[in-house]
Amino acid sequence: MNDPVAFVAGLKLLGAGLAMLGAIGAGVGVGIAASGGVQAMGRNPDAANIIQTNMILGMAFAEAVAIYALAVALIIIFAA
Amino acid sequence: MSEQTKKWRYGVKRWIVLALFIVGGYAAFGRNTMLRPISPVVVLPAEPISPNSPITNTMLATLIADVVLLLFAFGAYRFHKQGNLVPNGLYNFFETIIEFLWNTVEGATGKWAKRIFPVVATIFLLIFFANVIKLFPGFESIGWMKEAHKAPAYAPVKLFDLGGLPVYTIDKGRPVEVEAHGEEATAAAGAESEHGEAKTEPCHACEVVPFLRGSATDLNFTIALAIIAVVMTQVYGVWALGPSYFSKFFQFGALVNGGIFGLINFGVGFLELILEFAKILSFSFRLFGNIFAGTLLLSIVGALLPIVIPPGLYLFEIFFGIIQAYVFFLLATMFISMALVSHHGDGHGEEHH
Repeated sequence: MNDPVAFVAGLKLLGAGLAMLGAIGAGVGVGIAASGGVQAMGRNPDAANIIQTNMILGMAFAEAVAIYALAVALIIIFAA
Repeated sequence: MSEQTKKWRYGVKRWIVLALFIVGGYAAFGRNTMLRPISPVVVLPAEPISPNSPITNTMLATLIADVVLLLFAFGAYRFHKQGNLVPNGLYNFFETIIEFLWNTVEGATGKWAKRIFPVVATIFLLIFFANVIKLFPGFESIGWMKEAHKAPAYAPVKLFDLGGLPVYTIDKGRPVEVEAHGEEATAAAGAESEHGEAKTEPCHACEVVPFLRGSATDLNFTIALAIIAVVMTQVYGVWALGPSYFSKFFQFGALVNGGIFGLINFGVGFLELILEFAKILSFSFRLFGNIFAGTLLLSIVGALLPIVIPPGLYLFEIFFGIIQAYVFFLLATMFISMALVSHHGDGHGEEHH
């Protein structure tokens, strides 16, 4: 607390790390999407192309949350 | 069907790989501190390619990706015009990509595929080439030097003269304290390394500003592509449905004769309008975040453990560059195909097939 500049810098890094907690949900989501996709492909290998397309689409949406968290973390470190 | 076991013999390539590993190990852990990898200086905005230049390093990288893509495309086109029946490697490469993209677009949009394909395929190819090209050596490592303001800064060491232009590197073995009041010395010191005044060192405590940086690590690139994709979505929507496309956003009809649910539908229409702007945000930040995080990962792991892990990570980054290009392409295709069909079947009862 003696050096307010260093204190704020440390808090910034802490905040950026906390912001990345959002990646937990995205990781779970991507895992669920991949699990479901692979199961579906195992049951019906003929439809693998369609399933793969939709799986990647769903994973991209789930992953977007983690990317928002990353953007927030980057903004906290570099811009705020 | 007769499967023969190959005779095992000593190849040459494995020894080349092993020699490269040993050279890498020497550079990373040997006595010569000049070769050691330094921890990266992370900069979010793109930097100019020379002091006071309006051109940034990501713009230069995008231009190079453009030129390479055009050369490849013209090569494949000329090959096609010559009428060779046996395709060569480059032509095969393009045919595979285009056929894959075409099948995706046609599966999603049917007879509109011919009009939609050029836009989304161009976006895919540009992102694909930009992401692959950024992994080449020389990106983020060669640049001009400027006075550092933050902690990891090292002393410059002169290597050789390249036609009157002195070439410097920075020495990890000689860390230098950053001067707190180094503001006014920056511009002059940075310029000297460019113009070859060899009498003084370009800077006291140096950091390298690279000439080339991956295009997608700049938000300007990704936001531009996202705006193009979203605006083209509206264009195709109006092209397919006429002015009634906008009734998706402003559902006045539902408001007049829909009762309480009409009011809800009217609100949903406004949410759709906001969603269009959210698409720009999500498109651009997805691509930027993935590629920037990948670049960061490569440079940080490269500084921590520069010998075994980075080749695997490079493979990973190639994979992710392609996947991100494909995701951008796929989402743009899906949004356009959603804009092509009439939004509410309950109001008019007309069928679009």
